[in-house]
Formats: sequence, structure tokens, C-alpha cells
Amino acid sequence: MTSIGSVPAIGVPDAVAASSGPPGPSAVGMPPYTGRLLRWSFAIGIVPPAVLVLALATKSFFLLTFIHVITGGTWTGFDLFMGLVMSRVLRSLDIAARVEVAKRLTPTTFFILPSLAGTAITAGIYLAQAEGKFDLGSPWIIATGIVVLLLTVQGFGIFMPNSVRIFIELGKVRPDTAKIARLNMRNIRLAGLQAAFQLGIILIMAHLAVY
Amino acid sequence: MNGAALGAIIVLAAAFLAIFGSLYLGAVRSQRRGELDEAGVRILRWAVLGQLCIYVVLALTAFFSVPPAP
Repeated sequence: MTSIGSVPAIGVPDAVAASSGPPGPSAVGMPPYTGRLLRWSFAIGIVPPAVLVLALATKSFFLLTFIHVITGGTWTGFDLFMGLVMSRVLRSLDIAARVEVAKRLTPTTFFILPSLAGTAITAGIYLAQAEGKFDLGSPWIIATGIVVLLLTVQGFGIFMPNSVRIFIELGKVRPDTAKIARLNMRNIRLAGLQAAFQLGIILIMAHLAVY
Repeated sequence: MNGAALGAIIVLAAAFLAIFGSLYLGAVRSQRRGELDEAGVRILRWAVLGQLCIYVVLALTAFFSVPPAP
């Protein structure tokens, strides 16, 4: 045992420590299912960019439109679900239960969400180019770019670092469960904000598609 | 080649690596202090490789021409 392993958990409220009970094998260090969930997330996450490559390689406008709509719609739907549903569900749970959700949610979404976002944005640019609408002087394209920039900054600046911090915390000999629950709730609340931006971008998309 | 798309993907990947790298260094420091086990750092390495793999596939798209709208 390391010297750290014998010191009390830092930052874990007594109520949390009491409610979580004695640490089992999965309570210390990285839970054994983390790698399995990460592999699953990667297996799903690699599909959208691969389909985008296929759409461009086969010069299929239909497939390009499909991959843009399915990734954008799934990304928005996921954020709406997290912001409107999961945030309420998690608030009703105690911190120990929130941590258990975070331990599974973070690795499962780790590759899927960035892949959906990256593919939706990239496919959207190609789609706009294909339709001759990628005019950087157009206020609608500028508005899209601003919203995409905001979403990207949120993703890279808050979502991803929080997910990695949760990973690091999970890998610690004495994970700070309160910190894990706090970071996870922050991500879920942010998902609601992302959903609001995405509703805005879908309004812009609808305008670009119709006019 | 679609230079603008490739450039955008490279910028995104670089931003990702810079942020992830700083967090990774923090994790390595935690490991040296004995707070984090080896599996924790190893899984972070796999995580960054997986993300980079997704960026590489996205970057491939820049080498294809965009299909014209029907």
C-alpha cells in the first residue's frame, strides 16, 4: 500500500463517506468496467467520421446529408436529454449514486460526443460548400460560425477537461467523490446550455435549407 | 485537397492536445505523488490516442472532393 492509501479521503464529506459504505474493489482506483465502456464508446464514436469519409469517397450527396443530419440531431438530442432529463434525475440522487452514474457516463460518452460534434460540424461545412451556401460574407453563415465557436469553446474548455478530471479522480487511490459528482453535474448543466445554442443553430440551418 | 477543412481540423486537434496534455501532466504528477495508480495514467494515454484517431479520420475527409448538390 502506498503512503497516500492510508490517509483519509480528502474532500469527501462525512455524509458521503458514510453513505457510500466500505470501499469495495471498484471503489479504489479505476473501476474495472472503465476500459470496457471506453472501448464501446470508441467503437461507436469512430462510425460517424468513417461514414463521412465514405460519403465523400463515393461522392454521395445523399449520404453526406444523412450523416450531417443524424450526427447533428443526435448531438442536439443528447444535450437536450442531459440538460432537461438527466439533470433532474441526478439532482434527485444522493452524491454516492451520482458518482456511480458519473463513473459510467463519463467513459461511455468520452468518444461518442466529440465524434458527433466534430462530424456534424465538418459534414455541415462540406454540405454548405456542395450547395454553394458557404459564403463567409453571409450573416447566416457568420451566425452559424459564432454558435459553432461557442459550442467548441465549451466542449474543449469545459466538457472535455471535466471528463478528464473525472477520469483522473477515478484513478486515484482515494477518489474525491464529491469532486466527481460536482464535475459531472457541471457537465450535465452545461449540456443544457449547449442544447440551447444548438436549438439556435438548428433555426439557422432551417433558414439555410429553405431560403 | 480542402485546405480550409484540413486547417480547421488541425487547429481543433492542436487545441485538444494542448488542453489534454496539461491535464495529462497533472495526472503524471499525481501518480508521482502516489495519488494515482498506473492504470489511471495508462487509460488517459489510450483516451488521447482514441481521440486523435477520430481527428485523423476526420482529417482524411479533407482529401476528398465535395459531392455536388443534385
